[in-house]
Amino acid sequence: MNFHSPVTRTRASLAAFPALFLVFAVTTSALAQQRVSRHYPAGKNVRIELKNLSGTITVETWAKDEIRITATMEAPAVHFNPRQTDTGLVIDIVGDNRDRRDVGDVNFKIQVPSRSSVDLETRSGQISVSNIQGDLVRAHVWTSGDITLTGVNAARVFASNTTGNIFFDGEFASGGTYEFKSGQGTITLRLPASCGFRLVATAPAEKISMGPFSNGGLKTLGQGRRITGDVGDGRASVTVTNYQGNINFLRR
Amino acid sequence: MNCENYQNLVSDFIDGSLSPEDQNNVAGHLSVCGPCTDVRSDLGAIVAFCLEHRNEYEAVPNERALWLRISNVIEAESAEPARAIIPANAGWWFRLMNRSWQLSFPQLAAAATVIIIAVSMLTVVGLRRLNFTGGPEVVASGIALPVTGLSVKDRYRQQQQVIDYWNERVELNKARWNPQMRETFDKNMGVIDAAVNDSMRQLTQNPHDEVSEEILNAALNDKVELLKEFAAL
Repeated sequence: MNFHSPVTRTRASLAAFPALFLVFAVTTSALAQQRVSRHYPAGKNVRIELKNLSGTITVETWAKDEIRITATMEAPAVHFNPRQTDTGLVIDIVGDNRDRRDVGDVNFKIQVPSRSSVDLETRSGQISVSNIQGDLVRAHVWTSGDITLTGVNAARVFASNTTGNIFFDGEFASGGTYEFKSGQGTITLRLPASCGFRLVATAPAEKISMGPFSNGGLKTLGQGRRITGDVGDGRASVTVTNYQGNINFLRR
Repeated sequence: MNCENYQNLVSDFIDGSLSPEDQNNVAGHLSVCGPCTDVRSDLGAIVAFCLEHRNEYEAVPNERALWLRISNVIEAESAEPARAIIPANAGWWFRLMNRSWQLSFPQLAAAATVIIIAVSMLTVVGLRRLNFTGGPEVVASGIALPVTGLSVKDRYRQQQQVIDYWNERVELNKARWNPQMRETFDKNMGVIDAAVNDSMRQLTQNPHDEVSEEILNAALNDKVELLKEFAAL
């Protein structure tokens, strides 16, 4: 016969508690979340507009001519009604939930063709966009949230938040417009050495670092709070503003 | 029959074309009804006059010539009082305002051309003056503040009124927000306020600092936009 002493049984019971708690927590969390995935046919130059309340937004490219939206919604789940338009897709979580006071975060993962344009906005949460080659990339966080744009080669790029870092790793197209603005956080632009642009950069004194893009053609104004001038051919227009944080230029 | 029916028969009664029975009925009614008797009298007089003057009116030999003469007389009489109203010792303004203007098409076109040229010149001069006085403010405003000759403090005061309005609306809604949202909002508003205060401090030290003025405008505008966004919650 196999006997267990009372001490051994107590130990076994105590060891089972964390495991049970973990299972319970995972189950509760899974039940509290709702995951929705939708596919839409799209041309190569599709435009996505998303207005989120709070949560992360991740946009990636893929080789298919279609859009896939995956929304993971925290409870209480929001109304989620993407609308197809002539030019693409509109997801307006703010408008669709205007009368609702308390809704959970929505985390979006969006997969689109690389030639797409994206216009993204959220009250709070991170925005991440990678490998977009379309006309427009706009990422706006009303309050707090980092913005990360990597492998972006669009004609117009606008990235702004109040609190949080902004990181851009991409190229400036000749004749393109690029604006980056933060209230507090670090703005980092990582560019190829051959990049040419006309710059207006504004930040608190001594907080603008041009790094390898520093040249004699750049002028410093307002006791070091602004740097203007051309880098390379100066064909792209670049405006960078940071109320309290740093602005850094890095070479890829 | 009532009076209306009898009056419809009066014309035939005068002509004597009614049946003997109707003739008697109408005659009987006329003997007792004053209004119908008056109608009979008026109509009888008209008929008698027409019979008496038959063939006295002939067609006008030249109607157009007659109408032109009438038209000339009317025009002459209507123009006469206007000239008569202006006293001989009236001032130039009175004469100008009471003058009747009759311009030919070329005169009208010339007058319109002169007015257009004058207005264009005034507009050009006005815009140049605006650009001259606006100068750096035009560049600095870029966002929302009014482009006038107001000082930075005056413009700040104006913008502050807009901020106060939206702030009130936000405060009304704030009680309904969850603590996390309230904390996020306050934290971010603090960041913008710090930028505003920093710019104001710089401008106090150097009132002509364009960079600080631009940052101040941008920060105030960001503040209004953030308040507007959260006022809807």
